[in-house]
Amino acid sequence: MTRDWWKHLILILGALVVIAPFYMMLSYSLKSPGEIDRGEGGFFGRQEMMIDERCVALRDPNRDEVASAAKRFPGLTDREIRDALITEAEADCAMRPAVFNYTMAFTEAPLLRYLLNGVIVTVSIFVIQVLVALPAAYALAKLRFWGREAVFSLVLFCLLIPVHAIALPLYIMLAKLGLTNTYAALVVPWTISVFGIFLMRQFFMTVPDDLIDAARMDGMTEFSIVWRVMLPTAVPALLAFAIFSVVAHWNDYFWPRIVVTGSRELFTPPLGLREFKGDGDGSFFGPMMATATVIVCPLIVAFLLAQKRFIEGITLSGMK
Amino acid sequence: MAVTEIPVAAPAARSVEASQRRTGWFLTAPAITLMGLILLGPVLVALVLSFTDYALGNSGFNWVGLENYEKLFTRSTYEKMFVATFTYVVTVVPLSVGLGLGAALLITSVGRFRDLYKTIYFLPVMATLLAMAIAWEFMLHPTIGMVNRTIEMGCGTFLEAIWPFMAQGCEGGFPLWLGDQRYAIWVVCFVGIWQGFGFNMVLYLAGLTSVHRELYHAAEMDGARSAWERFRLVTWPALGPTTVFVVTISCIRAFQVFDTIEAFWPQGAGPNKSAYVMMFAIFEKGVQQNLIGIGSAITVVFLGFVMFLTLIQRWLVERKVHYG
Repeated sequence: MTRDWWKHLILILGALVVIAPFYMMLSYSLKSPGEIDRGEGGFFGRQEMMIDERCVALRDPNRDEVASAAKRFPGLTDREIRDALITEAEADCAMRPAVFNYTMAFTEAPLLRYLLNGVIVTVSIFVIQVLVALPAAYALAKLRFWGREAVFSLVLFCLLIPVHAIALPLYIMLAKLGLTNTYAALVVPWTISVFGIFLMRQFFMTVPDDLIDAARMDGMTEFSIVWRVMLPTAVPALLAFAIFSVVAHWNDYFWPRIVVTGSRELFTPPLGLREFKGDGDGSFFGPMMATATVIVCPLIVAFLLAQKRFIEGITLSGMK
Repeated sequence: MAVTEIPVAAPAARSVEASQRRTGWFLTAPAITLMGLILLGPVLVALVLSFTDYALGNSGFNWVGLENYEKLFTRSTYEKMFVATFTYVVTVVPLSVGLGLGAALLITSVGRFRDLYKTIYFLPVMATLLAMAIAWEFMLHPTIGMVNRTIEMGCGTFLEAIWPFMAQGCEGGFPLWLGDQRYAIWVVCFVGIWQGFGFNMVLYLAGLTSVHRELYHAAEMDGARSAWERFRLVTWPALGPTTVFVVTISCIRAFQVFDTIEAFWPQGAGPNKSAYVMMFAIFEKGVQQNLIGIGSAITVVFLGFVMFLTLIQRWLVERKVHYG
């Protein structure tokens, strides 16, 4: 340990640089605009009550409201009643900066909708990928048929093509079909995972033939062998693939940016954050960082809970 | 019993074969169709469109021969694009691979807190890059950002005397980072390394566990006393296959950089287009400006690079680069 102090020093310095933006993101999401501007307040900020100016402005009393409030403030002039009403509004609009930032994140933009879209898109992509890849992988690993080698070479060739690289022709094709700005556009290009086929094929190669022969003896069709024999044996590999796929598509920004324009209804979380940044001014740092925290959190928390599995899943591509 | 079974088995085998052929094609049909439509089709479409002046909304198009490619290799905008892309790849790949290896070696050699370091270094790989790019943008804010505030603390100390950068900054203000043409692309590179080296580290950690302990003993017997000698003679050769893979995947990822640049400069890809990388060019020309011919030409060149890299990797793997 004492001999290793310099190693720990380097590793700790590295860790500080790695953590810095996470620290800042979380800290800004808790602080008031003033504290962010002046760089005060440590990690949590002082959490003093702050007044949401916009909320007060919205409740700016008009003539009728002043008149109707006259009964509650007997003997005051209109001007005094107006001031009293504004004070009331300010009291109602006061909140802790942390609460303010996170409330703004969810009310300024339909963040919940974005998160839901993220879930819909990532889950549909994964499910379709499995539906397509699993039978193909089984056939390539366990069935003898003419053309199998050709199909497998096709898979190996397709591994060379990153989907992001062919985004432009895909976009043109989807636009021609009138599919831009739909869920389909977000999901379709990812429905085929050649990597998934390759991975599951390698996994199925290790499954003993006896298991499949026994299932055939029992009179199972090939189709039910795929789903009732192979699928259960493949659960660990599928779990790793699920993590790989979900992380990639939850975090993906490039493809949604291309096919979703305008309609907020279809925004995925990164697109929502991007829009938030586009129309926010300096005072929006807090709410924006709150949005960023909300978007980054699900995966980070899941990762911290199941690190081994996540590292396995993300580095799956290392198994090639 | 055995005698009666033989004649039955032969036709059965033949019918099994036939049924396997049918199910084989049946089970792979969806995958083959999708590979054709989603992966191979678009490659051909890009190839064809790169010789045209097609635009979405037009009913037809003209063949323009190699005009798009000519533009790509003569105009200064695209020169900036190649310079920015290669600067990024050539900086990010060696540094993220080197830091990944360094971190892996340090982590395996320390006794305590291994898992803690590993977890921390892996965090950026999990996080949404766009969100983290925005966080970095705030960190690098010229006046209220954490980076310049931290450097400012060095003002008035001995650092000012020994580090010209510090002295200049304390007098005339610290860099604008993202707004300064001299720093822009390097900031993008930095974020790329920050995000990617943890991934490489994990792959190297896995590679290190497979190095045989006996090899180190053998090397020591042969007189490899220093840690450097042991690394050069045993560790590095044994990590050969991992390195080939890590370098290839880092290259392919580096070529695809987009999120950081779009987050920092949504309009122009950096001051004076200093961070105008290929993916951004495809997006800007092809999607935003509807110049599909030129966008397709960039796509084709891009695919060329990526496929070339992967083929080199496969060739190296087949040559069995490891001696461990």
